[in-house]
Amino acid sequence: MAKEIIAMLLAGGQGSRLYTLTQNLAKPAVPFGGKYRIIDFPLSNCVNSGIDTVGILTQYQPLVLNEYIGNGQPWDLDRLHGGVHVLPPYQQASGSDWYKGTANAIYQNISFIQRYDPQYVIILSGDQICKQDYSDFLRYHKEKGAEFSVAVMEVPWEEASRFGIMVADENDRITEFQEKPKEPKSNLASMGIYIFNWDILKQYLEEDEADPNSENDFGKNIIPNLFRDNRRMYAYHFNGYWKDVGTISSLWEANMEVLDPEHSGINLFDDDWKIYSRNSGMTGHKIGKGAVVENSMITDGCRVNGRVKHSILFAGVRVEEGAEVEDAVVMGGTVIKSGAVVKHCIIAENVEIGENAVVGAMPAGEEKGVATVGNNVFIGEGAVIGPNAMVRNNVKGGEQQW
Amino acid sequence: MVNTNADVLGVLFPNSYDSLVPELVNERLMASIPFGGRYRIVDFVLSSMVNCGIDNISLIVRRNYLSLMDHLGSGREWDLARKNGGLNIIPPFAEKTVKIYNGRVEALASILDFLRTQKETYVVLADTNIVANFDFNALIDQHVRTGADVTIAYTEGEIPDSAKAVHGQDVDLYYTIDMDEDQRVNYMYMNPTQDGKVNFSMNYYVVKRELLIDMVNVGSVRGMSLFERDILSPHLDRMKVYGYKYDGYVARISDLKSYFDENMKLLDDRNLDALFSPSPIYTKIRDDNPTRYIAGAVAENVLVADGCVIEGDIENSILFRGVKIGKGAKVRNCVLMQDTVIEEGANVEYVITDKKVTITSGKELKGTDSFPVYIAKHKVV
Repeated sequence: MAKEIIAMLLAGGQGSRLYTLTQNLAKPAVPFGGKYRIIDFPLSNCVNSGIDTVGILTQYQPLVLNEYIGNGQPWDLDRLHGGVHVLPPYQQASGSDWYKGTANAIYQNISFIQRYDPQYVIILSGDQICKQDYSDFLRYHKEKGAEFSVAVMEVPWEEASRFGIMVADENDRITEFQEKPKEPKSNLASMGIYIFNWDILKQYLEEDEADPNSENDFGKNIIPNLFRDNRRMYAYHFNGYWKDVGTISSLWEANMEVLDPEHSGINLFDDDWKIYSRNSGMTGHKIGKGAVVENSMITDGCRVNGRVKHSILFAGVRVEEGAEVEDAVVMGGTVIKSGAVVKHCIIAENVEIGENAVVGAMPAGEEKGVATVGNNVFIGEGAVIGPNAMVRNNVKGGEQQW
Repeated sequence: MVNTNADVLGVLFPNSYDSLVPELVNERLMASIPFGGRYRIVDFVLSSMVNCGIDNISLIVRRNYLSLMDHLGSGREWDLARKNGGLNIIPPFAEKTVKIYNGRVEALASILDFLRTQKETYVVLADTNIVANFDFNALIDQHVRTGADVTIAYTEGEIPDSAKAVHGQDVDLYYTIDMDEDQRVNYMYMNPTQDGKVNFSMNYYVVKRELLIDMVNVGSVRGMSLFERDILSPHLDRMKVYGYKYDGYVARISDLKSYFDENMKLLDDRNLDALFSPSPIYTKIRDDNPTRYIAGAVAENVLVADGCVIEGDIENSILFRGVKIGKGAKVRNCVLMQDTVIEEGANVEYVITDKKVTITSGKELKGTDSFPVYIAKHKVV
């Protein structure tokens, strides 16, 4: 049974700029927004856009991600025909290879795509926070009679040189591609989301694989080759919220933006475009006597007895009496003991912050560090963690780390 | 055993004691009454069974069971979407000549063929008016150890006044038991009204499947309907019926007031922990986002499920999933079920709102500690 379109989701990125958060975790599995993981966004977008077949290309630290995806049921992607499939590199008669680049990852799974005999393939990225209707993108691709389309965002001109830039004519046909140009000719940044006609994609993947000098990358190799042959390439304008959460500060910022959907544009409360996730199954959260909760998001299983201000608490977080949490992203199962002060930081899962410890600090002047504490770390009583600290190991009581 | 870990079959009676809470079962049955912020009462007994390895569970429903079917679906959330066993909802046969069953014996008689073809050695029968994180394995262990024919789980405590007050034709009976020093039951009381501590039956029974089939066969031929009154009680001298005392946290729903009180009790962390640990309680997933407290919100001593948006001032209350509290609204001592909306400036106290109730802006609505006001499903005040 042929599918019109299937999705291939690139989820192999190491996310090295998230440091301790991705030490044992693929970047798409990083928790976000109180109860989600980053990958919930592209997966939910697929389902909400009517795409029911998704291949997830994994490579780096896949264990948590594999378990999280499971049979795909939370996203309604447990299907008789299609559904979600995790695709790690595997051994073949000719030998086995890690995915050498984004294009090579897709190349190694040509036979997976072939099983569904699709007309179109959408290539997605597993490290972006974005609510996007891919069916509208596909409609545009078909309308234009395109062979390749790329979703683009207008970015401020002064930032354009950080992105892959698409230069397009008045009909949005792409005329030039500049990878991180010093002198950008346009401010249309590629979001790294592509729709290909499958026959075209397959042809160029095979050609690219045969080239021993290629880096097997979409941006560096495949797209330039499409230009060389003057293929019909179009830019699809996207105006919604889009954020690459590849760094600690952008991840923190995106979480904070969730708290202000009226201004930031990232609305997780939209019943017409639900973001699905695997649920914790915990009981409701409890706000105790004397607790203060201000402008925050609190998830099932939390127990709050201290002060929580402008923060996101994931499932099962405990904030004891007299503890103070502000501008913080606190992931599941973490305990903040009484008298501890936690500010302007990201605390990963199952951390214990000891009594009267101090983690992070509100920005003072130019100093805007986001302190980060890795999974399962124990911060001792009275310890002090500075605003730029990246904590990977336990910190003993009374010690300082900056 | 091939298809279960526990060698036990579960049979639930979701309509038992409907008569005690007429308001709440207007459009549902006892089993599907919302409880504790994000659950339905049936979740507790179902999860308890599943956590004890019982994975072949039948629910014999009588009426108003649409909401229960909607809640349970395929049973996946309780891990009961099984090829062998799993969840099995048995509606009454809709034939003119067949009366809807009365009592457990008639209900079981309607599934005799099913019971005969199952493989499990034991059957656990249970009502769904009790909220507890119950260890069925301990009950079954005692049953096997004592060599009892039937074991009845009971709690020690007083009979609630509300139960004593209710009498009539259609009202489900309640039972207390007397036992000898070996826990063997020597007397069963029906609707007793005595004061002081009694051994109050939870209506959880363990019995061998073959024996249950015999009892139901004989009982239904003789026109019996009530398992306790017609089968157990008259034969206590011949049958070995034992009591099993349950000491864990338990909430019984015996009227609207007790429903309110039992919800409120969960605001005490000790009760919350006692009910929800060590084993998890499963329920239907709604994919709500986390609850959002907008600037200006004030919350103290509240149990709140996911999906709520709080802009007002809430205290001493239970909020189910998807409740919205408008700016300046004041909520005190309330149980607000799923998707209740309290609009701007409204002021509610001692109120139970059923699903999807709206209290429009500026309205004031107050019950009292002894008489909470109940607003029916979908109503706009």
